[in-house]
Amino acid sequence: MTAALLPDAPESPESPAAPSRRTREPRGGRVLGPLLALPGVAWLLLFFVAPLYVVLAVVFGGVDPVFRTVIPVWNPVLWSSDQPIYVLTHIVGSDGIFGPALLRTAVYVFTASCLCLLIAFPIAYYVARLSGRWKGLLLTMLIAPFWISYMMRMLAWVNLLANDGIVNKVISLGGIFPGDTEWLSGKSIVVILGLVYGYVPYMIIPLFAGLDRLPTNLIEGARDLGANRFSAFWRVTWPMSRPVVIASILLTCLPMLGDYFTSDLLSGAPSTSMVGNLINNTVLTPGQTGQAGAFVLLVLLVSLLPMVYYVRSVSRSDGAIG
Amino acid sequence: MSSLTAWWHDPWRKPRLLAAVTIVYLMWSLLPVLIAAAFSFNAGRSRTSWQGFSLRWYYGDPERSVWHDDTLQTALFQTLRLGVLTTLVCIPLGVALAIGLHRWRGRIPSSANSMLLLSFVLPETLLAVALLLVITQVALPFTLGTTAQVIGLVTFQLSYPAILVRARLATIGHQLEEAAQDLGASPLSAQRRVILPMLVPAIVASAVLVFADVIDDFVIVRYLSGDSTTEPTSVKIYNTARAAPTPALNALATLMLVAAMLAVALGFLLYRWLGKRTGEAESIGSFAGET
Amino acid sequence: MEQSPRRAGQPAFDRRALLRNAALLGISVPALSALLQACADSPTGSGKGPGGGTPTEGLKIASPDNPVTWDIADDNQPIADGLQPEKGPLRVYNYADYLGPGVIKAFEEKYGVDVKVSTFNDTDEAITKIRTGAVPFDIYFPSYDQIGRLVTAKLIRPLNHSYIPNLTNVWESFQSPWYDGEARYSVPYSVYTTGVGWRTDKVSEDVAALDNPYDALWNSDYKGMVGIIDDWHTAMAMVALRSGVTDVNSENPADLEVIQTALTELSAATKPKVTVSMYNDLPAGQLGISQMWSGDIVNAQYYLPKGQSADILRYWFPEDGKGLVDNDLMLVLKGGNNPVLAHLFLNHLLDEKTSLKNFGYIGYQPPQNSIDTDSLVADGYLPENLATAAVRKEWFDVAYRLLELTVDNDAAWHQVWQQFKAGA
Repeated sequence: MTAALLPDAPESPESPAAPSRRTREPRGGRVLGPLLALPGVAWLLLFFVAPLYVVLAVVFGGVDPVFRTVIPVWNPVLWSSDQPIYVLTHIVGSDGIFGPALLRTAVYVFTASCLCLLIAFPIAYYVARLSGRWKGLLLTMLIAPFWISYMMRMLAWVNLLANDGIVNKVISLGGIFPGDTEWLSGKSIVVILGLVYGYVPYMIIPLFAGLDRLPTNLIEGARDLGANRFSAFWRVTWPMSRPVVIASILLTCLPMLGDYFTSDLLSGAPSTSMVGNLINNTVLTPGQTGQAGAFVLLVLLVSLLPMVYYVRSVSRSDGAIG
Repeated sequence: MSSLTAWWHDPWRKPRLLAAVTIVYLMWSLLPVLIAAAFSFNAGRSRTSWQGFSLRWYYGDPERSVWHDDTLQTALFQTLRLGVLTTLVCIPLGVALAIGLHRWRGRIPSSANSMLLLSFVLPETLLAVALLLVITQVALPFTLGTTAQVIGLVTFQLSYPAILVRARLATIGHQLEEAAQDLGASPLSAQRRVILPMLVPAIVASAVLVFADVIDDFVIVRYLSGDSTTEPTSVKIYNTARAAPTPALNALATLMLVAAMLAVALGFLLYRWLGKRTGEAESIGSFAGET
Repeated sequence: MEQSPRRAGQPAFDRRALLRNAALLGISVPALSALLQACADSPTGSGKGPGGGTPTEGLKIASPDNPVTWDIADDNQPIADGLQPEKGPLRVYNYADYLGPGVIKAFEEKYGVDVKVSTFNDTDEAITKIRTGAVPFDIYFPSYDQIGRLVTAKLIRPLNHSYIPNLTNVWESFQSPWYDGEARYSVPYSVYTTGVGWRTDKVSEDVAALDNPYDALWNSDYKGMVGIIDDWHTAMAMVALRSGVTDVNSENPADLEVIQTALTELSAATKPKVTVSMYNDLPAGQLGISQMWSGDIVNAQYYLPKGQSADILRYWFPEDGKGLVDNDLMLVLKGGNNPVLAHLFLNHLLDEKTSLKNFGYIGYQPPQNSIDTDSLVADGYLPENLATAAVRKEWFDVAYRLLELTVDNDAAWHQVWQQFKAGA
């Protein structure tokens, strides 16, 4: 996660991109630039853009009559839209078999993102602006989960939430509850909290990076002019940090949209299936690979708007992009 | 002590409350992992009740310890292999892309830049499924396995070096390079002798980022793995956590954790040393990407 | 669900139209045609190109009433006699925890080769990966209901029985089974029943004494502790039997509707966990009652936490044998690089001692003549309270069998399952 992957706060006087706006084009750049960029651009075209076309060819393709595996159709003229139409017509209504999972995904991702922000903002704000000499240590500890694999962190919770796990032991120690809760069987709340636990570091770090760059002089100015701590925050810090907050939310909820393993590990019940589970369940099932592709396209379409917003806001704050 | 009394008199002074929230959060985020790591030293096969300290799951158990269970070792080595290979391919590609895009103005580089940012925010599952379909539906000189995994990972990680290095280039500006060329250097040697050395800290940082991120990766490596010999640690954890895990799995995860921490610590030391040499103040924050 | 003739989102495959279109494409767009050609050459098989598929009618469906002996194609002959084993590594593709490590080690030592076991979660996933040809797996362990497709697509090799003398160790009915006459392509691995397993400390009623023991899985008292096998046909067949539908391969849309309704009720009543790891989840306490394979309940006793007695485990299967019985196979895949070694591995696992050792590890009974079903408890293979998990030879004459379904029907069944798994 990097500050360069975040939009600049408005009025930030020390934008790193600022110097490059003033410079003229480097000499000798005509050939050298394209030449150096070529391999990377070719790589992205080959392994990022072209695969999306293959998804289209599969979604709009046919199915082998015996094995019912997909037969991609490469020519758009011959595309058959049976599979996407099937998926689209089975989202709502009496045949709405996919609707509940899609709605669930929206609810889970929204709730988890809100909780993430609720946790991440105060912490990032504190560490970036108020923690003083503890900043380095706290930052190191905040970054640590970033380097611990997601699977390890989920495994840790699987152990804690097991029937004879520590969570139940602690609860029964208090004597208030029987302490035999089946945490790992189809509980939405466990999956949502699992998502929060898994993704909140991905929100804290960019928030920290963004808040750390806010110009102190403006806030101090507000304080000098008589604003109390709260109104200085509300009138100066919050508006300035809004772009960073939005970018952080996007960076957290976009990967959540494709998540299937959190629900798999912490629940395993269809009653907590998300759209990622639909994709994961069908992509290797004979006859349903095309539907998996259709779900991929669906998620892509839904996330396209936020992604474009993100790309635009980051590019705009990056002077090099005309 | 004085801070304690201050807290007593006014517990709701903002920073105190925020400090408490931060500490509770850190405990919540780190304690479960520490507990899981502790259970890798459990003498019994339970991962929930403590039965005494032992190295059984690392070495002692003749069949199921990490040392003796081939499948766990295979997973460990596959993880490290993917980490190294991906970093080796990704960093040169990304650095060249960054320098190239920095020097190249117009529509094409600007859309290439957008493409790069899109690859950064695209939900990983979508890219992984797309690449899985490519590999299973299109005739390619390679199939599922290490090659496919490296290709997927490089695609997903390319944005790190490219964007970190570009940000650094932006702060360097074009003047130095122009000065070098005024002194008679060719554009290429100006890059090599002037710009590249200044980029080294950013390159090191992005290499560490890529490496640590790759060894944690799950979605891409799972979809693009072939047989069990190409299933890295995260996939092994996922498969076993749903079946019948022993603390050997915790041991495996703990070893990965140590590997990631070592990589970051060594990378950071190198980074700081380089920073001192080039006269820049560097903090661990740079590893969170504060360029 | 709507049962339109164009079943369930599986686009009908109009061969002629595609052939015509492919021809047009070939003339008009040479570049794309080259791409198409490239796909035809791909190892994916699915890239046979439009129109290259085998017609549906070509798929023979075997059943006990309609035994099938599969042809041996000219281009897929068994290996010659007396060949030297390859150097390996032998790649085995199997369910997790379904092959004893000691048994593998013994084979490795005997032939000085490596054996690599890869695992899959369900056979749908497995067959898709095998078809991509991505990995040269040598041996595959499916149920018998896939053999028709595998033979038709020439994904498996006919066996040379001279390498497998131990085949005579198995029940006579498996030496030339109805799904594979003369055992041309397969040897049996394990036999099992599918019933209901539970823990007496979580489920107070005696499930076996209920009028319809399957109903216990629908009992909302057990919400959050119910498990269902993550295999569409096994799970849906159980639902069918519970609802009084005894044709577990039914082509009747009304039957499927009954199954679908019962699945929806199941979801609402108990929020079941859909998994294949009940052999761990039940003893670990995450499940209290679960649809189970007999082998898994046997296996479950080894996964109980320390100090927990195996007395609490119970298993029910209809005493008259009118339930689901199955057997898994060992097949030699054509894409593998070690056919001779693969034959030897099959023979190794059919060896009397080896298969008993393996039984002890995986809990799944091999159909070996030397095993006396009545003395499994006395011999220590089964505890007293799990005597019901023994698999009797005679049940195979009366029980319901899961068969390979026709393509359309298969799609319809899968669709109902997908809906269930989506949590609708």
